[in-house]
Amino acid sequence: MESIFEQLRRLGPAAFLLKAIVAAILADALFLAFILLRRWYRKRYFAKRDARVFELRQNWDKLISGEIPYDTWRSKPFDRRIVETIALDALDAATAEESARLLKFLRKSGLIEKRIYEARKLTGWRRMRALVALGQTRALEGIYALAQGLRDRDLEIRLAALRGLGRTACPEAAQEILAWVGERGLCVPALPLQSALIQCCAERPQLLIPYVQHAKGQLREVLGRVLGEVATPSLSLDLLQFVGDDLDELRAAAARAMSHAERGLAFDVLNELVGDAVWFVRLRAIVSLGELCEPRAIPDLLRGLTDSHRLVRLRAAEAVVKLAVPMVPVFQKVVGTQDRYGLQAYLTAVENAGLREKLEAELQADAGGSSDENERLLKILQSGVLLEEAALAAVSGAEKSTPRS
Amino acid sequence: MSRFLDLLNHAVFWYYLACNLSYLAMLIIALKTSAAHQRRLQSYRLDWFKASPLAPPITIIAPALNEEKSIRVAVRNLLDLDYPQLEIIVVNDGSLDHTLDEMRDEFRLRPVRAVYIPDAKCAPLRGLYRSELNPSLLVIDKESGGSKADAVNAGLNAATSPYICIVDSDSVLERDALLRIMVPIMSDPKRVVAVGGIIRVLNGSEIEGGHLKHVRLPRKSIEVIQVIEYLRAFLIGREAWGQGNMLTIISGAFGVFRTDLVRAVGGYRSSAIGEDFDLVTRLHRYLLEKGVDYHIPFVPDPMCWTEVPSDLRSLGRQRARWQKGLLDVLWPSRDMLFRPRYGRIGCFALPYLWLFELFAPVIEIAGIVTIALAACLGVLSREFFLQFLLFGYAFATVISIGSVLLEEITYKRYNDWQDVVRLVSYCFLEHFPYRQLHMIWRLQGLWQYLRGDVTWKPLKRKGLASSQAR
Repeated sequence: MESIFEQLRRLGPAAFLLKAIVAAILADALFLAFILLRRWYRKRYFAKRDARVFELRQNWDKLISGEIPYDTWRSKPFDRRIVETIALDALDAATAEESARLLKFLRKSGLIEKRIYEARKLTGWRRMRALVALGQTRALEGIYALAQGLRDRDLEIRLAALRGLGRTACPEAAQEILAWVGERGLCVPALPLQSALIQCCAERPQLLIPYVQHAKGQLREVLGRVLGEVATPSLSLDLLQFVGDDLDELRAAAARAMSHAERGLAFDVLNELVGDAVWFVRLRAIVSLGELCEPRAIPDLLRGLTDSHRLVRLRAAEAVVKLAVPMVPVFQKVVGTQDRYGLQAYLTAVENAGLREKLEAELQADAGGSSDENERLLKILQSGVLLEEAALAAVSGAEKSTPRS
Repeated sequence: MSRFLDLLNHAVFWYYLACNLSYLAMLIIALKTSAAHQRRLQSYRLDWFKASPLAPPITIIAPALNEEKSIRVAVRNLLDLDYPQLEIIVVNDGSLDHTLDEMRDEFRLRPVRAVYIPDAKCAPLRGLYRSELNPSLLVIDKESGGSKADAVNAGLNAATSPYICIVDSDSVLERDALLRIMVPIMSDPKRVVAVGGIIRVLNGSEIEGGHLKHVRLPRKSIEVIQVIEYLRAFLIGREAWGQGNMLTIISGAFGVFRTDLVRAVGGYRSSAIGEDFDLVTRLHRYLLEKGVDYHIPFVPDPMCWTEVPSDLRSLGRQRARWQKGLLDVLWPSRDMLFRPRYGRIGCFALPYLWLFELFAPVIEIAGIVTIALAACLGVLSREFFLQFLLFGYAFATVISIGSVLLEEITYKRYNDWQDVVRLVSYCFLEHFPYRQLHMIWRLQGLWQYLRGDVTWKPLKRKGLASSQAR
């Protein structure tokens, strides 16, 4: 049998190995050259840019007021990009008055129009860059161009348009996004869609209701989550229809939204949802009940303390501790559940809230309760275990230590 | 004899070709995905996530063993992270030094009773403490369990968030690292069950107040070579595997997991040597057996900086341990190999690890010996042998420079010219004698494992405080 190396050798080194060596060395050289050239170019570019930024910054007020004619910098792409970047960065951190001034400048100088044109006519990364800049301006006239970007074939461009619309944070943008998802379904990852809708629907959350009613599958879940975040008391009645929905996410959203609803109505609805079969629906309901700060919720919260899911127990405990009610009777009820996990969760919440000393003091000073009972509760508070449990442990300990005959 | 050598040469040649082609494929995938990721970052608004109601709570678990020098800086770094809902659990794993006292002084710890349900096995607890200055900091003091896995399990038992993030207490996370690593989870909370972040080499860089002030390349050659290794492993390897949903390792120094799933698989295996690899493999198995549609991505921009060994002895120990860990996980997972039930993990990822990671030291050393022997005996043309070596060298350099290139066009953390020149120079120098030494350490690891030597020996570290002083 001929050696593999000999077989290759018969092909001739030039035919195989030499070519491979040359290719590898060439690749090494190209990579190196690319690194070095890129570094050199960037160094020059940033030095030039830095000098120009400094120059433009010196005359910034004159520049945006129009004292320096716009034509002097608009016709030079390098300067135009710098001015636009400075203006957009300033817009991000500006006060309302300053924002209005900058927006006026961006409009008068034609920068917004230029970006709108680019967002409509260009393709690929140029369109994406225009959409990102347009979103940063938060100008209402850009909404239509951004909405057109939502229909692009490229996912990244659709995402840039979506984020841009989210930045405008206005109901008009929400309508465009909702119309688009209604027409195309969920064709972007859920998070950016949720973020954009939360920002845009905050002012008019009722826009979401018809879409949640008619959407299907994952889109319905996403819209439900958004609804849960932006719901206001005025939506209480609309939200009732989702309390018995088949979709877990939507029931959870309804539970979450109920913390914003009218107290009486919310209490009844949450009372039903804390008994839901799905743990995260119960969790949402417990958290919302906690936010209501309603003493009537104590029995439901105590039920949450004995829940099979650890997170539900913890949140229920936090909610119970947050209630502005005398602590001793509540502690007594917690002990009464005879649930050691629930007790542990409650004691953790009490410790985390820095209320342990207060509870101890209340137990020692509580004249209303019987002293035996208070002593028992104090022991439980100090030991962290139910007394029955401690007794059992003691008995089993004694059994273990007794020598078997 | 010559026929035997021929056969071996054939095997080595095809092995070498397959190995290099897979590296090349990974480099191409990584270049493509990194560029796409960079473009995507343009339209991200991380500041929005900071106050986002969609950000789920996270519990950071940081095990600490004899970290008195660096624990203050490390915990301060964790407390300063940008994230809306954060709980930090530091597990003092039976330290023999003053780790607990240091934390007690710095963060005013007071004993508390916190929810602790021993779902995952670990050594007994001595106490639980919460900081008076920052109630989100919980410290668990426990007896030594002899492994990091044991300490993480203790943290897992006390964690109260739906996600846990495991970090090393001698590592430094960038301020926005958690926001960045959570982006895939927030995008698709149902499918994404765990996310891996990138680990970079801290040696040589300056730290101030628990934060990275200036990134510099380390001075020692052995550390610079590790910088290249980390770039290659994360920017090329993990990026490519993550792209195909075949990530089998999420570094123990920085990764996020869904808490309920980690509990469902019983937490970390206390006896595991490579506990991070073991956990991810068990998660894959669990989810594939249940037929769950899931995704475990890798995100290259949330950075965690960690100290790497700076002397040969420690590095050798570390690499031997990694190799032992590899075998320790691959052997119990052998039933997953080539079974369609385990999808890409069973058909691609695990066979790759067996062939090109586990057996690599054995095959490479055997290959070097047989080719050299064949060349000496005249079975093989010496000229051709040299050409083959030259090709191997040039190709390996392409992959290393490729990883430096990826770093240049994406994150560009080494800004000084001097650093880049040194980094590139070491791409040419690392192949001899470091690579051969590395193979020997890995071989030692295999041998130790087969002999039953699985004890964990601590590595010599300088600690974060020394980075500050440099």
